[in-house]
Amino acid sequence: MMKKVYNYLMVILLPLGMYHSTYAQQLSVSGKIIDSNTKEGIAGANVVIKGTSRGTITDIDGNFSIDVERGKILVISFVSYLTEEIEVTSATMNVELNEDITNLEEVVISGLASSVKRSNLANAVGTVSAEELVGTTGQSTIDGALYGKLTGVNITQSSGAPGGGVAMRLRGVSSIFGNNQPLFIIDGVYMNNSEIASGSRFASGANNGAEENASNRLADLDPNDIETIEVLKGPSAAAIYGTRANAGVVLITTKRGQSGRTRVTFSQDIGVNTILNKVGRRSFTADQVQAEFTSASDPDGTITRGQFEDALAAGEIFDYEDEIFGEEGLILESRISISGGDDKTKFYVGGSIRDEDGIVKNTGFNRRNIRMNLDHKLSEKIKITTSSNYINSDAARSFTGNENEGGLSYGYTLAFTRDWVNLFPDEFGNYPTNPNYPGNPLLTRDVAQNTETTNRFIQGLGIEYNLFNTSNTSIRLKFNGGVDYLQNQTFVYVPEFQQAQVGTTNGFIAVGNNEIFNKNFQAFATFDKFLDNVTLSTQAGISYLDFDRDLVLTQTTQLIPGQTNATQGGAQQVIQDIQLEEEFGMILQQEANFDDKVILTAGIRLDKSSLNGDPNEFFAFPKASAAVNIANFDFWTSSVVNSLKYRIAYGETGNSPTFGALYTTFDATNINGSPGVIIGLDRGAPDLEPETAQEIETGIDASFLDGQLSLTVTYYNKTIENLLYERQIPSSTGFTFQIFNDADLRNQGLEVALNARPVSNSRITWNTGANFWFNRSELTRLDGPSIAPRNSAFGTGLGSFFLEEGEPITQLKGNQGGELVTIGDVEPDFQFSWFNEINLFNNIDVSFLLHWKEGGDNLNLTRLLTDIGNTTPRDIEPLRDPNFYVEDASYLRLRELAVYYTFPKISAFNNLVNNLKIGASARNLFTITDYSSYDPEVSTKGGQGLSTGVEVTPFPSAKQYYFHLAVEF
Amino acid sequence: MKNIKSILLALLVFIMAAACTIDERVDPNGASLNSVLTDATFTELNNLVTGIEARMRNGFDVYVTATGTISRELYLFDADPRNLTDLVGLENDQGENRELDNNSFYLTSPYNNRYRVIKNCNILLEAVDNASVEVTEANRNGYRGYANTIIAYELLLVLNLLDENGIRVDTSDPDNLGDFVTKEAAFTEIVRLLDLAVTQLGQAGSEFSFALTPGFTGFNTPATFTEFNRAIKARVEIYRGDADAALTALGESFFDLDGDLSIGPKHVFSTAGPDILNNLFKIPQQSGDQIIANNDFINSAAPNDLRVQRKTVVRDDAVSLGGFSGTHETRLYASSTSPIDITRNEELVLIYAEANIMLNTAASLTEAVEALNIIRTAAGIGAYGGTVDQAALTTEMLDQRRYSLWAEGHRMIDLRRYDRLNTDFVVLDTNIDPDSGEELSQVIFTQFPIPLADTN
Repeated sequence: MMKKVYNYLMVILLPLGMYHSTYAQQLSVSGKIIDSNTKEGIAGANVVIKGTSRGTITDIDGNFSIDVERGKILVISFVSYLTEEIEVTSATMNVELNEDITNLEEVVISGLASSVKRSNLANAVGTVSAEELVGTTGQSTIDGALYGKLTGVNITQSSGAPGGGVAMRLRGVSSIFGNNQPLFIIDGVYMNNSEIASGSRFASGANNGAEENASNRLADLDPNDIETIEVLKGPSAAAIYGTRANAGVVLITTKRGQSGRTRVTFSQDIGVNTILNKVGRRSFTADQVQAEFTSASDPDGTITRGQFEDALAAGEIFDYEDEIFGEEGLILESRISISGGDDKTKFYVGGSIRDEDGIVKNTGFNRRNIRMNLDHKLSEKIKITTSSNYINSDAARSFTGNENEGGLSYGYTLAFTRDWVNLFPDEFGNYPTNPNYPGNPLLTRDVAQNTETTNRFIQGLGIEYNLFNTSNTSIRLKFNGGVDYLQNQTFVYVPEFQQAQVGTTNGFIAVGNNEIFNKNFQAFATFDKFLDNVTLSTQAGISYLDFDRDLVLTQTTQLIPGQTNATQGGAQQVIQDIQLEEEFGMILQQEANFDDKVILTAGIRLDKSSLNGDPNEFFAFPKASAAVNIANFDFWTSSVVNSLKYRIAYGETGNSPTFGALYTTFDATNINGSPGVIIGLDRGAPDLEPETAQEIETGIDASFLDGQLSLTVTYYNKTIENLLYERQIPSSTGFTFQIFNDADLRNQGLEVALNARPVSNSRITWNTGANFWFNRSELTRLDGPSIAPRNSAFGTGLGSFFLEEGEPITQLKGNQGGELVTIGDVEPDFQFSWFNEINLFNNIDVSFLLHWKEGGDNLNLTRLLTDIGNTTPRDIEPLRDPNFYVEDASYLRLRELAVYYTFPKISAFNNLVNNLKIGASARNLFTITDYSSYDPEVSTKGGQGLSTGVEVTPFPSAKQYYFHLAVEF
Repeated sequence: MKNIKSILLALLVFIMAAACTIDERVDPNGASLNSVLTDATFTELNNLVTGIEARMRNGFDVYVTATGTISRELYLFDADPRNLTDLVGLENDQGENRELDNNSFYLTSPYNNRYRVIKNCNILLEAVDNASVEVTEANRNGYRGYANTIIAYELLLVLNLLDENGIRVDTSDPDNLGDFVTKEAAFTEIVRLLDLAVTQLGQAGSEFSFALTPGFTGFNTPATFTEFNRAIKARVEIYRGDADAALTALGESFFDLDGDLSIGPKHVFSTAGPDILNNLFKIPQQSGDQIIANNDFINSAAPNDLRVQRKTVVRDDAVSLGGFSGTHETRLYASSTSPIDITRNEELVLIYAEANIMLNTAASLTEAVEALNIIRTAAGIGAYGGTVDQAALTTEMLDQRRYSLWAEGHRMIDLRRYDRLNTDFVVLDTNIDPDSGEELSQVIFTQFPIPLADTN
């Protein structure tokens, strides 16, 4: 859509320019490249003489001229169009390009310094365009916007609070102890995506920072800045990223300027957040209250009945779920971007403000973002690109998730709160004591705080030097580097009059000052040689990265009433966590392209890291792949099957131990003000090596009927060897945990993507895409005993993940009468998503994304709590296994739905406004599921480890409705 | 082509040059174990000592509430349902009684913390052997006597949990742990360590070269710390049924029939930032996190027993959770910084009575009655008026221990020692299933399983 507008602009606005010149032996060819549908000129198309690196680019109207020998072949290509090859026969050549519906021509970043077009790729690299990412509905975070749009990607939410808390898994679990999240690289900069805990656990009693339901810092990026996202799902595609790529790599490219007229776009979204699904509260009659709340002190329940009847008479039966989670949060987002440039310099400047309120009063997320991307050609040989992004974001997330007697987490508190108890503040603003749990949720909502502010600067720099160029040889040097600096401040405040604080810690403040500084650079040389039937491409380079994290948390208790400054209390404690990582890698890759028929690639990366036992030992990560474009061979004459590719790829990646795993260290203690040291819980393992993954991926890509239909089928088999995991060692050693690497894991899966354009005429265009994928895992080796891994759930008594040789790593087991029984598996049987985009009369766009997850269990411990508190709704389905709170978490969800209207170009303000679009959309409009809690996508332990699918009173997910307006000047 | 070669060569050189060495790092977040194992200074050794005293407190609250729940002297009403299901063996939906889990907090918290303290003690012992020259031999013996006493005490607490399962006593080398030994062998080792410590304390001069907290005021010199050591020894001897040895140990301890019953070393707490609070203190009249006295503890008390009045308070509203309910809550500790007694003269007087009952002579039984009367008088319930024979006095002594040492981690061990940790002697509160209205059956466990991590 945008492209057509763009082309239209080019034709209308800029003057024609044609050049003629002649050389003795050569023909001066000129012509025009146009879109076969619209007959409009295509600006910026590549015209290259086949077998050389020589060529030109079409001007703004699609015109080009080039000196070439008669009989040579011109290769004409442009983004989103199918490449054409034309033999030079005359001095004037007009060429029509067909739109590339199947994205075969799309250029995919395959190495650290090179790219390859999709039709020559040996991996199924997932690509999501800006249009697919944010074109349908409003999105607050990138990872949240990706689900359902790619095969092989699983996403869960650790929090429904605005501003993230999303965990992304590519092709199953790839690490137990280490990082399970893919590596995010934005414009060449290694991005930090950590969850920074605020220390609320020290007030709520949650077990660790992961249970605080913090946001992941990818939330800082504005999805609207993104041009494309490429997802390298496994080691076979990501081997060149070495020791950080076990969980896959997500490459984010932001928008850049195009030469031509300066374009200004403005868009405004207005939306609303409401709870996706209410669980409901238990209904009571007086008889039921009496029957269900008996106790020894109230053996026939009459006392409780009396309380209920009094409340009923006073009209004071409340719905606390609605009171807390029933808010409608306003979403406002404004964006402006200005882009343009000339042949030498191109720019993109964008800014956005998003202000989103949550479904709980006083929660929300604000993000202010400004970006400037510049491209400048210093000379014909040197090109400089920079990408600058400053983000200021803040979030108020309040208190959710697991806790122990903190009286803060909403769901936890609600599970024990009886609806006939009045918890509203009195006329003096005093909040009543909750007689059934140590916290009043209204006090938590209105007075307690859990907020964070982030200031972040991401700067990327690239320099490309075209060192040497002849008709068949080119050497380029490429330098890339960048920094991601973020300063984050967290603040938690629990007033001294909060129930659980009274008489113990008497108020709680935690102020976190966190600084994370990622630096990386890489230097590469690429050497391309164009021979008659083969193009050889060699790249060699180095990569260096240095990550520093310094997290300082100051806690204050015994507060001076009413004060929120960390100095204003009787007891202060400081926690500091420093992490320093340094890595160096060397890369060599060789590619051979035999006339686009057979493409072979081999490469190796050598990495060393300060995280490994020996920081100077290199670990090798090789790769090799082959793609065979069967339809490009001469014998292929089918007109039905236009392209057919068989591909196979092998690659290895690694994952170093997390920081600190090597050390045996004392913890500081204090008694009565005297400092002391106590041996740490974790026994260091000074000789650890990285866990390594090997993956073989094979598949077929085919397109039919002139690209109206395309199919991609991929099978992968990924093995992670020497899996790092924490195991309890006999605690009589004085230690509790040590890291071992004596296990292997295998993930196998199938991914099928089908894209088609069933209808395409002047009035209706219908694009549709269906994705189907599943993954199966098996722990193929476990030398140690079978165990429930640390911090993945809450023990086998309630049901837990359980590492066991020969079983899926995602299985859940529970202790039933002293015997461990399998009670579930969080891995979905399969997932299916269906995207549709229908354009009517060139004005109306309707699109929707439907996502079906079949199978996969959740451990619903929210329900355990409401059962104990006797607040579970009465009409709830009985549990599958009455001993364990395991439920099927299948669902069918309408993730995105949108209708847009684009005003016709011929209208009164045509001269001022080039494009005006309005629309309405919804996110998560409906979910059909048997799962009895808020949202089947859940993770109470954040994004790390195995935690997916365990629920303890999360921040409920929201659905969103939007109204959109977009203007382009 | 020559050009290209030289460029590639230059590039290769660049790569090699940039292949910088990555420095081996030390942990920026804390002192490393190795740093104290050679040439440790006084400061380093004393930090280990303070760390030991500090960590002894962690998990002790769970020890008290878990053993207290099993022996039905109290219930912990908090957010974790296992406190009212697992620990009482409550019948589940299949009609089966729950078992004690071998990997749940009620076992692992006290168990892990005790061995973590023991590890610190073992590190201290190793560090002392290789300490800096400024540390004199007397100083070293002071550290050793302290460490060995604490190891023995911590092992005793572990043995109290695992009982007939036995425990590991040799844990100094993590790669080569000693096997589990029987209860009897464990007692022998605990006594050996206590005696060794006394020998070492005897060669430690008149002062320690380290400071203990005010919790050990009166027990902070080699001589007075020995009195604490002997008090623990008396407890061990009583547990293993050696009345004579217990009486001997009492004689060398701070036991005093005429003395203040409250004297003894304590765990102290403070609101200093990184310090911990006394978790056995509960906010008065709070419901969601409360220690509730078992109903039979209230109902069976002698009228006007001051101990019940001092240690518990009637709740404004009776409270119930998970089918259990109670009318009284704990008031054992006045505030979250109130100290917890490790042992005190009151226990020693009761040990004295018990040892005399065990001896079962006319003179010793009289002596026992006198000791029990000291306790009874202090509790305001008058002198003992019942039968004076071994059986009756044993019951009386256990009753006094029940009220004198309520919610201090003794009841389960005391009942078990006399085969009374069963329904013949323990009154169970009924627990009604709110769904079916049926009573759920319970189990009285007598010991904890070996923790999962230690079974491997």
